[in-house]
Amino acid sequence: MKRPIFSKWNIKSVNRKTAIAELLKLFSFQKTTEELLLTALETREQAEPTIVHDGIAMPHCRSILVDDFMIAIGKSEKGIPWPEKKVKVIILFITPVRPSGPEEHMKLIKHLAKLLRTDGAEKLLSADSPIEAASILKFTLQESNQNEQ
Amino acid sequence: MNNDLKRLISLHDLDVMISDLQNKDIRKQEKKLGLSPAAAVVELKKMRGELALLITRRNRNMYDQLASHYGNAVVPVIHERCSGCFTQLPTAFVASPDRNKQVETCPACGRFIYWCD
Repeated sequence: MKRPIFSKWNIKSVNRKTAIAELLKLFSFQKTTEELLLTALETREQAEPTIVHDGIAMPHCRSILVDDFMIAIGKSEKGIPWPEKKVKVIILFITPVRPSGPEEHMKLIKHLAKLLRTDGAEKLLSADSPIEAASILKFTLQESNQNEQ
Repeated sequence: MNNDLKRLISLHDLDVMISDLQNKDIRKQEKKLGLSPAAAVVELKKMRGELALLITRRNRNMYDQLASHYGNAVVPVIHERCSGCFTQLPTAFVASPDRNKQVETCPACGRFIYWCD
């Protein structure tokens, strides 16, 4: 699953909502689109925090506002209250709503579940760079994002 | 963007989220990740109810009818076409300076349409 991803290796936000917003900024959406996607992702988190491993959260949704996969990985050394537990790594993704159904979305979740259930989660938490994190997730870091530290 | 239109888009995304979490395969994968899709669906349905009440009754009823008929009640305009039925939209419609400032529907299929920024 070689998909391009964005990264932010030094998340400054100190709460869940602003951390998600900080990652959404990487995609350069227009303001309204960004707001609506933030609402969707935050709604999912309010229903159930998406902590998939100690220290790792995975905010995700499908939306009609995107026409391709949008994936970003973020890291915070201090940790972000999510809100009960602290999260150091965020894997955020938004997949498009296609007439064919949620098959692609399901495949991406399956891909991540498989990686995280093996030793991917620990590797990810100790990754030193966005390139290393992308490689652990078997994604490719966006060229425009390679200088992001 | 018109507030009702924003809420209709959010309602659509929320319905997609609920539907996904009720999908057998997605549920299975989410459970493998340690999540609880069934509990999330209960909460999301509550939130859906609250959001729907913020939409004008006319648009809310229309949304429900369109969603039950087509599956998707809100679609983007892509290359000047409704992406639900692929009908070319009238020029006057496309050139309007009020795009997204009011709730518009496709003249052919009736779905709510919005322009991507």
